[in-house]
Amino acid sequence: MTELENLRRWLTDLRATVERKVEGLSADQLAARSAPPSELSILGLVRHLAQMEHYWFVLTLSRADEPRLFVPDGDWDAQFRDAVADDAVVVDALDTWRAVCARADTVMDHLEPADLEIEWEPEDRKGSVRGALTQVLYEYSRHCGHLDLLREAIDGQTGE
Amino acid sequence: MSDTWLPSGEDPREQKAPPRGEREVVLGYLHFYRQTLELKCQGLDAERLARRAVPPSSMSLLGLLRHMAGVEHSWNKRVLQGHLELTRLYRDHPEDRDWDFNGAVEDDEVVEQAWTSWRAEVADAEAWLAQDDFDRLVPLEDEEIEVRDIAVHLVEEYARHCGHADLLRECIDGRTGQ
Repeated sequence: MTELENLRRWLTDLRATVERKVEGLSADQLAARSAPPSELSILGLVRHLAQMEHYWFVLTLSRADEPRLFVPDGDWDAQFRDAVADDAVVVDALDTWRAVCARADTVMDHLEPADLEIEWEPEDRKGSVRGALTQVLYEYSRHCGHLDLLREAIDGQTGE
Repeated sequence: MSDTWLPSGEDPREQKAPPRGEREVVLGYLHFYRQTLELKCQGLDAERLARRAVPPSSMSLLGLLRHMAGVEHSWNKRVLQGHLELTRLYRDHPEDRDWDFNGAVEDDEVVEQAWTSWRAEVADAEAWLAQDDFDRLVPLEDEEIEVRDIAVHLVEEYARHCGHADLLRECIDGRTGQ
């Protein structure tokens, strides 16, 4: 398996984990701050993960000129704060996240293994395709850790 | 997540130059998350380290430290170094497969032993992975897997448990970040 295939396989697994962690929950449960004093909720994390994938795959790797998701007018806290118990907010978060995942997959479909070496230097920090994919993978992992404890506190469900 | 833990310039995980190449990037992240776990445990007494701070989960920071020592030991010594005959760490209570978490009790000696064991396993795994070939195939149960896959898995598991550590620590004393 190439390095690229390996990273993609892990990312696919982690997205499936997110699907399992949201499955079967009501809007109230998804929006619950179930590990206080943390402000994190499962719904807030889904919005944040959509924003994160969009930033790396669409804005950074594809250089698309689009506003950041769930960050209206530079309001970073909105990702979590506005994750409220409302069915329309839930549907929007999940639809947006799944659509961004599909766009990210298209970006990765066009990568060759050697493309991982490509580097760039945006305004303030150097980066590479390898660095971007790796960052996404491990950011998912850490947030799946948050999802584990939030979900267990809601209905006792555990597991990978 | 905001960086409110240590002031800029005092974070031991800051790097001067971005890492390059598959091995350097993966092992760089592994080092980063090991240090993150250590930071999340910093400055806590045995009671706080052993506290099940996010009920109903049985996890504690001390349990995570013991668990990760076991993870390092199993992948590095049992799988990568080919000693599958070795007993896993914290499996000395056959009736309880979660002894790493359940045996993480409020006791200075247990805490000391957890740090000693974790540091030893980290040092051994670091030395081994620094020289192993990522393309090498390693037997595991009925199949063979690449060293690359194990290395990425180790980081993924550390990062996920650092997510657990984030919430545990915030519930213990409100500390967040990094």
